[in-house]
Amino acid sequence: MRIGSHALKLEKRFTLTGWQAVMSSILAIFIALALFSIIFLIAGINPLFAYQEIFSYAFANPFGSPLTINRFIFLLLCTYAFIIPYRAGLWNIGMTGQLYAGAMGVFAIVVAFGGREFNATLSPGLLIPLMLISSLIAGALLGSIAGYMKGRFNVNEIVVTMMLNFITFWLVSFLIKEGGPFMRSGGEGDGFELPSSIFAPMIIGVPFTIFIALGLALLLYYMFAKTRIGYQIRAYGLKPAAARYAGISTVMIPLLVFMMGGALAGLAGYHYFAAVPGLYKIPVNYGYFGDLAFYGIICGLISLGNPLMAIPVTLLFGGLSVGGRFVQGKLHMSYGVDYALLGVLMITLVAFQFFYRYKILWVKTKKESLDVGIPG
Amino acid sequence: MLIKDIKRGETVLEARGITKRFPGVLANDQIDFEIKVGEIHAILGENGAGKTTLMKILFGQYQPDEGEILIAGKPVKFRSPLDAIDQGIGMVHQNRKLVSAHTVIENIILGHPHAGKILNLKKAEAEIDELCGKYGFKVDLNAKVWQLSEGEKQVVEILKALYRGAEVLILDEPTSALAPVETEKLIASVEAMAKNDLAIVPFITHKLPIVLAISHRVTVLRRGKVVSCTKTEHATERSLAMEMVGREVIFRIERTKVERGKTILQVENLSAFSDKGFLALKDVSFSIREGEIFGIAGISGNGQQELVENLAGLRQAQSGKVFLDGKEITHASSLERWRLGMGYIPSDRNEVGSIAEFSLVENTCMNYYFDDDFYQRGTLDYKKLKELTEEIISEYNVMTPSADIKAKSLSGGNLQKLILARVLSRNPRLVIADLPTQGLDVGATEFVRNKLIEAKKNKAGVLLISEDLDEVLELSDWVAPIYEGKIMAILPGEAAKREVVGGMMAGIDLEGEKK
Repeated sequence: MRIGSHALKLEKRFTLTGWQAVMSSILAIFIALALFSIIFLIAGINPLFAYQEIFSYAFANPFGSPLTINRFIFLLLCTYAFIIPYRAGLWNIGMTGQLYAGAMGVFAIVVAFGGREFNATLSPGLLIPLMLISSLIAGALLGSIAGYMKGRFNVNEIVVTMMLNFITFWLVSFLIKEGGPFMRSGGEGDGFELPSSIFAPMIIGVPFTIFIALGLALLLYYMFAKTRIGYQIRAYGLKPAAARYAGISTVMIPLLVFMMGGALAGLAGYHYFAAVPGLYKIPVNYGYFGDLAFYGIICGLISLGNPLMAIPVTLLFGGLSVGGRFVQGKLHMSYGVDYALLGVLMITLVAFQFFYRYKILWVKTKKESLDVGIPG
Repeated sequence: MLIKDIKRGETVLEARGITKRFPGVLANDQIDFEIKVGEIHAILGENGAGKTTLMKILFGQYQPDEGEILIAGKPVKFRSPLDAIDQGIGMVHQNRKLVSAHTVIENIILGHPHAGKILNLKKAEAEIDELCGKYGFKVDLNAKVWQLSEGEKQVVEILKALYRGAEVLILDEPTSALAPVETEKLIASVEAMAKNDLAIVPFITHKLPIVLAISHRVTVLRRGKVVSCTKTEHATERSLAMEMVGREVIFRIERTKVERGKTILQVENLSAFSDKGFLALKDVSFSIREGEIFGIAGISGNGQQELVENLAGLRQAQSGKVFLDGKEITHASSLERWRLGMGYIPSDRNEVGSIAEFSLVENTCMNYYFDDDFYQRGTLDYKKLKELTEEIISEYNVMTPSADIKAKSLSGGNLQKLILARVLSRNPRLVIADLPTQGLDVGATEFVRNKLIEAKKNKAGVLLISEDLDEVLELSDWVAPIYEGKIMAILPGEAAKREVVGGMMAGIDLEGEKK
């Protein structure tokens, strides 16, 4: 494109610094917000006011901020569940099922230790670690099905994880329905509530799971960058045939990444159903959390499989989903505004990844350049 | 069109002072080049000499940073290949760009301005038929492209360019995928086209005899510069090779005698299935001792792939046994074999031997990640790996700005050097070299062969798989022709005769009977 004596030129990038990636993403967020203003304008709302409401509720409000943080932890764990197989070139669409499996693992432990009985006295020091471990194992077991099928028989992991989502959905449904083993006394369709003695400890008003989630970012980053297993996962992810040549087991890697991913999605199950204040049960609308888990896919893609980058991305998504829902109610907008906002943001962020590969240059053109040499 | 007005023998296309820079590389440095009507002017150069860049500039895929292109004396500017095509330049790619489910004729008219909205296949067919007659091409216009041989596909590409009105034809590695008979046909057609006042520019990496056979003039590129531009009758294979590589190239390698030691590899009655489920390797037995190169000569697809994959632990044996240093490894995994001292150089260096998106350090790591010398407190010692990679790069003369760039930016020859270096740096007991010089230019080929001989001097056993009969005969202490999964004979290298081995590769044994 030419404007006067200057021209916009598209040029391929050969290297991308972390700083450039961050700048491109920040620009994308602003563009997304600008685009979404159109919706607010149509509804007759000042977009600046709406965004102020969204952000202040999500990040600086005694009611909104804890919601944001809870959702952030949840999304971050689900994002890891996507990222780990993604680095091995595999797609985990099953964080929903793995999250349910984790939740089932948690409540099964409580049932096994008699936590359903009236006035049960339970030792949190023993039970909370057990519940955590159980959620990890249950998620990993479910994940291992897809991983093993992929590694051993080359069955498409997307199909398997997807189908397992349905199986676990109905399994949970069976467990919490009236007459089911996890039923809440008196029906109502919810699962039973945890005895208050084993509520997860809060640290400055935040579930302790936040430290696990943030610690995992460092751990996973380190694993991919430095360790032997991280190297093997990345090699397999980029070129399975070359990995096989190098002696990397093409059965073990898919199995391992799906077990790790599944375990962390299972942990997300512990977080939401056993550590978030006010819930402490599998609620009847548990399917909502399953849908939310799918945001792990998009957050994983936006953060390019980088566990550290997943932190700001999931924080933003968590905050906007909370804030979006809030303004929808407060400003009397139609249903689904929060989802629409997330959708626009997703598309812009992904589209802006174009600038990871190309850059636009503003160059001075030479006078003679274009009008020579194209005789009819 | 401009070119029509130019008489035979006058310059049609000229490039003056073409310079193109990429980050860290000067790909083309002040290149001058011209071609006359009716001339075949070959451009010769090693991998990475700047041939591809120049070709893309002439065809409008890249824009030069400096310099200009002239057609019939007038400067032109190509902003895309479409501009170049409109000016009468045609390109035949090495990787065919055809729609395999369509017929030949449909492929030829694809993208032609006349085929814009309504297809007039009859008229097109008549016109294409005429072109075929004029240049002596024989191809069934109504056949589907997937049914054609590589040579026929190339004819389709040439026809496509000609039908589009090309008068300067750029051919990228025109003979690299062709069988000998097809090569001869192509040479005849190219000569016919030159007689009919087309200008032809073949770009060639290796196969010097082809250059001598077809061209009128040769321009040799080295490191982005024109080294020479000579009439072909004044050039010899030796002089061209010297200009390409920049030094004398030894075409014949002296067979070095090395004291042969203990048996390293022993293969007993080995059979294996192919991926398609038939028995591709049948009852093969041989052994390799320290200081020996065992050469398997054969045309691709006669069981070499299955043999190599089995020895590397990537394919199960149907029956038979394999021993490495006296230890049975028939059922050992690939990783165990690496640890026991196997070093495997795969034939497919892009898809199997390297990972394009990995840095050179990470690529070196492919054969070291399991090595405890490069493992410290739970992590891979990337610092040590980088030192090793830098050593390899300087020792093997891999052309790269640094060890941290991605492998995809290396040329084929440099990538092969890196893979070879990485495998040989482990001092393997057994080196399996599968088509180690395939597609390499003269200099890199010589280098690879010398390194294999060096490995043999260092008391390793070398299994060499090659389609190039001369290569096998020159390097090997034992020559084993393979045909349909069977080793026809194991002949001592000094005594093996070219005709005998060549016959066996085609399934004819010593008595001359077809098996």
